[in-house]
This record gives sequence, C-alpha cells and structure tokens, in this order.
Amino acid sequence: MGGRDARLTAGRRPALQNRKMSHFSVIGKPIAMVDAAGKTTGAGKYTDDLSVPGMLIGKILHSPYPHARIKRIDTSRARALDGVVAVVTGEDAPKTYGILPVGHDETALAVDKVRYVGDNVACVAAVDEGAAEKALELIDVECEVLPAYFDPEESMKAEADLIHDGKPHNIEKAYHHVFGDPDKAFGEADYVAEGRFIANEVTHAAMEPHSTLASFELDPHTGNLGRLTIWSSTQVPYYLQHKLSLVLEMPMSQIRVIKPLVGGGFGGKSEVIPLEIIAAVAARAARAPVKITYTREEVFWAHRGRPRTIIDLKTGVQKEGRITAVKAKVVQDGGAYCSYGVVTILYSGALLGALYDIPNIQFDGYRVLTNKPACGAMRGHGTVNVRFAFESQLDEISAKLGIDPAEIRRRNLLTPPCITVNGLRVLSYGLPECIEKVVERSGWSQRRGKLGKARGLGIGCSHYVSGAANSIIRSDMPHSTVNIKIDRDGGVVVYTGASEIGQGSDTMTAQIAAEVLGCSLSRVKVVAADTDLTPIDIGSYSSRVTFMAGNATLRAAEEVKKQIASAAAREMNCAVEDLMFRDDAVFQKKGAGKGARATPVETSVSGRVEGQILRGSLQQKRKQEGPKDWMTFEEAVVAAIDFHGALSGTGSYAPPPQARGGKHKGAGVGPSPAYSYSAQVAEVSVDEDTGEVTVHKVWASHDCGRALNPVAVEGQIIGSVWMGLGQALQEEMIWKDGMLMNPGLLEYRSPSSVESPDIEAIIVESIDPEGPFGAKECSEGSLAATIPAIANAIYDAVGVRLHEAPFTPERVLAALRAKKQAKPINMTEGIDPTAPTRFREHGGSLWFRGKGPQRHPLDPARRETTALADGDD
Amino acid sequence: LSLPEFKLLRPRSVEEAVAFLARHSNLRVLAGGTDLIPSMRQKLFEPQYVLDLRHIEELKGIHPRPGNSVEIGALTTLNAIEHSEFLRRHYPVLTEAAATVASPVLRNMGTLGGNICLDTRCLWYNQSLSWRKGCGFCIKKDGDLCHVAPGGTKCWAVFSGDTPPALLCLNAEIEITSPSGTRRTPLREFYTGAGDDYRRLQPDELLTRVFLPEASADYRGVYRKLRIRGSIDYPLAGVAVALKKSNGHVSDARLAITAVNPAPTLVRGARQALEGRAVDELVAEAVGELAAKTAKPLTTSALTPEYRREMIRVFTKRAIIAAAGN
Repeated sequence: MGGRDARLTAGRRPALQNRKMSHFSVIGKPIAMVDAAGKTTGAGKYTDDLSVPGMLIGKILHSPYPHARIKRIDTSRARALDGVVAVVTGEDAPKTYGILPVGHDETALAVDKVRYVGDNVACVAAVDEGAAEKALELIDVECEVLPAYFDPEESMKAEADLIHDGKPHNIEKAYHHVFGDPDKAFGEADYVAEGRFIANEVTHAAMEPHSTLASFELDPHTGNLGRLTIWSSTQVPYYLQHKLSLVLEMPMSQIRVIKPLVGGGFGGKSEVIPLEIIAAVAARAARAPVKITYTREEVFWAHRGRPRTIIDLKTGVQKEGRITAVKAKVVQDGGAYCSYGVVTILYSGALLGALYDIPNIQFDGYRVLTNKPACGAMRGHGTVNVRFAFESQLDEISAKLGIDPAEIRRRNLLTPPCITVNGLRVLSYGLPECIEKVVERSGWSQRRGKLGKARGLGIGCSHYVSGAANSIIRSDMPHSTVNIKIDRDGGVVVYTGASEIGQGSDTMTAQIAAEVLGCSLSRVKVVAADTDLTPIDIGSYSSRVTFMAGNATLRAAEEVKKQIASAAAREMNCAVEDLMFRDDAVFQKKGAGKGARATPVETSVSGRVEGQILRGSLQQKRKQEGPKDWMTFEEAVVAAIDFHGALSGTGSYAPPPQARGGKHKGAGVGPSPAYSYSAQVAEVSVDEDTGEVTVHKVWASHDCGRALNPVAVEGQIIGSVWMGLGQALQEEMIWKDGMLMNPGLLEYRSPSSVESPDIEAIIVESIDPEGPFGAKECSEGSLAATIPAIANAIYDAVGVRLHEAPFTPERVLAALRAKKQAKPINMTEGIDPTAPTRFREHGGSLWFRGKGPQRHPLDPARRETTALADGDD
Repeated sequence: LSLPEFKLLRPRSVEEAVAFLARHSNLRVLAGGTDLIPSMRQKLFEPQYVLDLRHIEELKGIHPRPGNSVEIGALTTLNAIEHSEFLRRHYPVLTEAAATVASPVLRNMGTLGGNICLDTRCLWYNQSLSWRKGCGFCIKKDGDLCHVAPGGTKCWAVFSGDTPPALLCLNAEIEITSPSGTRRTPLREFYTGAGDDYRRLQPDELLTRVFLPEASADYRGVYRKLRIRGSIDYPLAGVAVALKKSNGHVSDARLAITAVNPAPTLVRGARQALEGRAVDELVAEAVGELAAKTAKPLTTSALTPEYRREMIRVFTKRAIIAAAGN
C-alpha cells in the first residue's frame, strides 16, 4: 500500500465549482422540501394508502422456532376457508436471492428450513385481513426442531447443525487485513491501550412500516399473467426490479417498480425485504393484486438493523499523542442471513482509515450467522459501533497521557489530498474546522471541568462515505443517470431513479437543475423512482444520492443548457460563452446591466410568471423585434426547440477510477469519491443514585462540502444526533433464546421529545472538488460521533468509562457502584459494563427446561423432547 | 393486526350497562380503550361483546363534597384529573401520578377507572399471538408455564398503573355496581396480589366511582416514576407518598409502590417509621429500605429486577424528602 503520495489526478471538475456562493440563486438557500405539502396535509400517498380494484390482503405465517427443518406443510384447511384466494409456500418460488451477489441465501418463503423466530413460512392472500389471519391458524406445519445459535462467539464454535450449508462454523465471512507494520509500530509505541467494547443491537424504527402492492396485468393475447407492477416502500427500486426478475424468473423489462412516498428508511428499506417478493409470488398465485403491510412486529423481524458488535480494540500512541497503530478484532452478530453483512463487516474495518492519520492498521473481522433476524445496513453502515470503541479508547488515552481530548484529535489529522494506508482517497477534509467549531461554541476550554458535580463535556468525531465508489455489482455502469426534458411550456421535467425517502432527494435534484438552468424552482418537476420512466439509479443508500445523482443531474442540466445556449446565442448574435442563465432568463453577460430588463417579467413569490395569456403574444412580438441582449427562459427554450427539435439532455455519474480503492481482498468497500466529517461535543449530567444520564446539549458540526439546502442539512444533522442518542442511552433489541422481547415501539424505546436535548447544528463547508457544487453527504456521518461524545461526557462527569452501549441507567449505576466500591448489587446480570465480556440476555429469566408443570403443546422445547422420544408429533 | 370480530354494546346509563353485563358472559368493558384495543389486536382478548361505556355521562366528572372529600366518576379522563385545580390543591399525589401516565394523547382517552382496572403486564404476555406461540404461551394466557419464575405455578405479571398507588395513599374507596345494587369497598381490598386473576370484580360488576375521604384531604403528596423515556412508558417502578406534618414532624404518612408487584402495594410500617419524626436523610433512607423489601420485581419488564428494586429504595427516599418539603 502506498503512503500519502500524490497519486492524485482528480476527476473532471464541474464547471461551476469556482462560482462564489453569492452567485447562486437556488443553491445554498433554505428551501422547503418539494413534497412537503402532501406529507403535512395527509394528501400524500404512501404504499399502504394505495388500493387497486380486486386487491387482496396478504398475511405471512412466521416461524415460532429459531431453527427447524420443515418436514411437511399442509395448507388445505387454510385454502378451504371462506375468503381465502391463494396460499403460497416456499415451493412456489424456490429460487434464492440476496442483496449481495455473494450472499444469495434467502428464498421468498422457507424452502427446507426456518432460521429465526419470525422467518417466513407461508403467505395467505384473502379478501380481507381478518380472513387472512384466520387462515394462518389453519396452516399445519410439521417441523423438526434443531439446536439453535444465539451468541456469535458460541456460534463460531459450531461443528454441526449449521445455519447454512457451506458456511463452516457459521461464519458468513472473515477478513484479515494488515496495512503497514502494526506489530513493529506497537513495539515502538510509548503507550498501548487495549479493551473490549460491546455495542448492542439496534434497529431503524422508521415511522412507516414496510408495505408492498403487487399487481399483474393479463397478456392481451394469451390471457396469461403478463407484466408486473410493484408499488413498494423501498430505497432501491432498481435492485428490487432485479431481484424480482431473478426469483419470479421474469425479464426485468416485464417488471415495473414504483416507489410512492416513503416514510423513512435509514437502511431498513435499502435491500429487498421478504414481503416485496412474497407479495409478487402471492399475486401470481392468486391472479389478483395483493398488498402486504408489515405489522410493527414484522418490521422488527425483517430487521436488517445494526448488528451487536464485539470490538477488541488496541491502539498504540507516542507520548505526545500521535497514533502509531490500531488493531481491531470485530465480531458482528449478523443473524440468520447474509443481507449486507459482508459489506457491513468490511466497512467496520475500512473506515478505521480516512478520519485520522493512522499509519498502521490491522483488522480481523468476522461476520457470524446466528438464529435471529438478519442484520443489514443502518444509518452509518458498519462504522458506528467501531467508532464508538475507537473514540472512547482515544479518550482513555488522552486521559492517560494528560492531553486534552480535543487536542489529541488535532494531533492526528490527515493532510489531504492524500491516500490512506488502506487505500482511501481523501480530497476535501473539513475535520479540523469541525473540531474548532464545536470546541469554540461549546466553550470547551473554559467550561470543561468547571461544570460542577456529575456534569461533564465529551467530544467525539466521525466520518462517512458520500456513496460507495464501487457498486454492489462491480461494473463500469454509471451509478446514476438522469434525464431532463424541457418542452415549449418552459417546464423542466427531471427523470431520476434516485429514491426520495424523506431525506430530500427530490428537492436536491430540483435545486441543482434550477441552478444550472437559471430557472425558478417551481418550473422544475421531478419524476423519480419509477423503473418504467426513470433511468437507472442504484438507490438511496450509503449517502450516495446528493453526490452521485446530484452530479448526474448537474451534467444532464448542463447538456440541455448547452442546447438552449447555442440557440439563444444565435438569436442574440453573440458567443455562447457570453451568456448567463439566471432568474428565468438568459442574459448577455456584458449587456446584463444596460436596460436588459426593458420589459420586466413580473414574478410572484413562488416564482410563477404572471399574465400567462399575454405572454404568448408578447413572445411573438419580441421574436419579431430581431436580435436582443436578453431572452426569457421560455423564449430561449422555444428558440432551442425551433432550432434543435426536441429538447432533452442526459447525464450520468460513475465514480472516478482513482477513488475506487486498493487491490486487496475486500478493498471494494470503504472507498468513496468523498468523505463527510463530523465533530460533536455533548454536555451531560449523571444522577449518581439512579445512573440516569441526561444529555443537556449537543454541539454538532458537519462538513457536508457545500450545504445545497442548509435547512435540510441541519435537519439531517439533528436527526443523526437524535438517532445516535437513542443508541447511546435507550435503544436495544433484547433477546431471550432467539425471542425478541421488545418487538414494538412501546418496549423498544426510541427517545421521545421530552428527553431530546438542544442540538446546535453547525455546517462546515469544505467545497469538495468533485461534488455537485462542492457538496458531500450529510445524512449519516454525524450519527457515529454522538455515541462516543456521550460516553466521553459521562466519563468527564463521573469518571466511569462505559464499554457497553447503550448506557442504560442500570449499566451506569453498576459502573458507578463498582468505582465507589459500594455494596455491590448485581444489576447487570453479572456483566460489568466497564469491562463487558459477553452478551446480556433478558433478565434472569431462563427458558425453563426439564422439570416443572406440563408444557404447552406449542412450546418448542416440548416438541423437541417428544420428537426425540417417540419420533412423531 | 386486525381486531377480532365482536358486537359493540353502547349503554347510556349505568343501569343499562349493568344489564348488559348480566346478560352476556363473554364480554370486555371498554372505557378509554388505550389498553384494551392493542390487547385485542394481540388476541389477548377475543370477546364476543365489547361494552363501550363512553356514553355514560353520569360517570364523568370530579364532584367535591362538603369537607373537601370528593367523588370521581370512573370515566373521568386522566387529563381531567391532571388538570383539576381542586385535586391539585387537596390531593396533589393523585394529580402528580395522573400527569405521568403514558403521553398527553393517551391521557385524553384513558380514564381513572381504566387505570385502576388496568390489566397486569409482562413481556411474555403483552405480545402478539404469533409471538406467544414462539414461547409456548404462559400461565396468564393459553399456557401453563411461567417464563419469569420457571417451575412456578403463580403468575407474576406486574401491575403497571400509576394512579392506584396514589389512591391507596389517600385511602380511596371504590363503588362497584352490579344488577343487585352497589357496594363500596376500600381500594386496597380490590387487588388480589395474583398476576392473572388480579382484581376482585365479578363478571356482572362494574367499577363506577372513586371516593377520596375528607380525612385524606390536604396531605402533602409526591409521586415518583421510573421510566426510560420521558413520556409514553409504563412505570418500571413507581412510588407514591402522602403525608401530613404538624410542628415540623410527620403526624401521618402512607407510602405505596407500583410496577414491581402483581398489585399496587401499601408499604407496611412506613407510617410507624415516619410518625412523630422530622424527616431527614436517615429516616427517609430507612423507609426506602422498607419499600425495597416490599418490592418483588421480576423479569416481567425492561431493566433488571435488582435495578428496579434499588430504584424503589432511591425513589422512596427522594419522594419522602420531597413530600416533607425540607
């Protein structure tokens, strides 16, 4: 691996990057989301709001066993029930699929085995929900219960009853990376910190539960089922179209995926979720449209959240605080299927780089299968838990060496442009300014240590990719393509496959198109995420949309602009270079001052041109006047259409080869064309009698390159901090032998508004050379800094170092007791939260085996024993 | 999840309601519905009839009686109790407890009677039908096992209402109406202490009114609730204190705890420990110990039992110091 050399040949620079901020008319302005009205009035349609004639409701039968072989499924009683149209099982669509090409281990419905409590066994399509639910009770499934694995470190020892054939020791994937010479560097370090950190499992808890409506058209010639249309709450319409084609064995061209409004994804909708395939399979069998909407419990079972992670971390430093080497062993409890797992484990290692300057890195990562719902991508994919460990350990080191925690971070900065030891290219780097801003705003230097008893400040930093430089399926295909069409009405229609999931993708697209074309935002209509209409975009995940779809939009708009400009220049008798597009008009740059607006066009607040009827004749009159020094946007458009014929443009984006990373196994994950940076300071107080932690304020700075829409950027920063706060203090999926004890929003406790702190979002703009107008991501990077900032603030407040997240009151109190050597109370099931060794199951409640009262016939343990005893059940 | 099919009965008077109760056996009573409806979706109850009391006007409202005793209709919303100036002045522990129930939206629907009759809760019980299949059911519903106290035959589902401990501290009485008339009983005799059959209420009986006696008026009162979120959550432990002082010394006191036993429970010996004393750290600490001994938390709820018991101790101490106001 080369060091920080000058292997830099930056890609094509967008023409507008040097324009000063004041030159922008739409970019950089706080703008309401283009879809805000429908969402706030209730007029907007989400998938579950949709209905088509003859539509049936689908309900899924889930496994009550964590691991079992299916011997027989009898659906005849269910089929006979009044109102039931079809019942489908694994046999109806046995082809395997998975989001990653290396992880095709899922089937629509279980074919031979079920692998977690909640796994999908069968689906009923019926005239209403009640009938479908009743029918589920009439499906007879005969199972042979198998030993199950719940703890990843236990699962790695498995020799028999493997979760998937061909995955010895239940290890989905293991990676061992060495960059530089870590052993030598540890030997030369003045101080080496070592520790185990555990971050428990969390999930997205998006407000909208997953929903899919599948409908087949009949072929007009044969009467057989023809084209399929799917409306689904998805972040990735194109991948959904692809996987449906695979499982249904239909050409992609016969499948149309439409994404209605989506009520939040956070990664939970960034791959094909079982119900999306199941709805299509059921609709095919029923020969009628089928809609399935998950219950909240089913959302928890579909999961794909952030895995429980065990991190054994070792950091070597010189005495002035310079990091010499980092070694991380990361074990992720991945659940029963691969999902994004291979990518998740790679991110957890790759993004040890690109935040600080670390010359030597060793990473051993294990993605382990267990009999629980599959983990996948979640906001800050793969990086969050390792960042918690790293930033906590850096804080420990700074305390040990007596260096200010903010200062130790400053001493380990990268010097971009550079390529990190693990092959990540960093061009724009706003971290120094991020640290400076939060230190200044929080009064770090003056206030720290002087906040009184049990109150403290903590700092944490983080970063994230602006889209992956390599797509899931490695190819040279553009990651985003955008088409723009402008007609004689002067309306600009942008067709993009990018998926608006609440993050502001449609607004960003409209802003970029409007800025480039110099037209008002209200002229721009965005048609998005409909595979029949919009060109391919690989979806809304890994914070790629602004950077990639934004660049594609910019290029498409530039192309159309070029056509308009050539026609306008002809009309105005000037060179194309002398034209300026702005305020719904095209000006000659030189003549822009001298009476260019002799007939001013009245624009309303919304940007709509008044006097629609007069305009046509006005235009005709002006057209006959001969050459002029300015034209309205519409005149210019009409001139261009008269001259070129149809007016359309297309643009696409593929990350530059220099940004695509190294050549080692697993090098494809981590590289990005640009990284966002974040620094946060949290102020907390701790109740020393109860262990309750109150977060009073979080100062969060984020380098997003350029804030295209500052209010949207602030919203994303605040949202990230808030989600991080949940993982830091409250949110945790609690398991007992494969049973999820809190599969609902009552017991899975995302923060309420009451305990949400004041969050000061600080935007830092480093103007990335390759981002659209210099923009990078702003939706994910901030999350990872919040958890360690809070952990470090707890340490500053009361002197206890928590190595296990979330920092629930019982864990904090147990740590406080241990520190004070007070009377010990076993509050955390014997697990010391300052030095955790293993996972904590729910309470002391053991799954009772053996003696006791007669077990219920449906108790899996009873089935197991009787099956062993007499072989029939 | 769909609601099971049922017939909805909507009486306009208590007589009519009680007549329905006498006529139909497979019936559930709906007051605010905030607990019953989710439970029905989870198929914890699949009644043939639902008796919707919401149109019985005579059971709504707070009616002060001479001498500051008060009669509260069972259908009075928790929101109305929270905002009643009369109750705040004379029975502060009740308004404080009512204000902590769930969230503002749920307090607009939830009623005092509903909070008193609240079904006991357990992580192994308040789950969907398909979830409960996975664990083989439990004693409280459809099964014969207890996952919380393995091998046991008693149900430990925990009582999770916020207002009953406050009412116990106020020596509240309740009026129960049946076709054969009304009876009045102290609230402390209403709960059985079992998790499954948790209250003494015959199938043809209806809780209609709550009475707070004059003797309990103007006690100082504090309610402290352990929860992870600042809103929405059921209590994971709760402590109510009502006490009276004269000349700086406690002249009478009652203490009750909730969410750690199958019933809200008055802490025995609390009065003796406090009576005649000036409240200080030591005294409060001693009462905290008493309360912690009364608490029998198990793994029915989030957080570990040991922690919840410890919080009963801490919260009791704090509540007593706060109520004593020194």
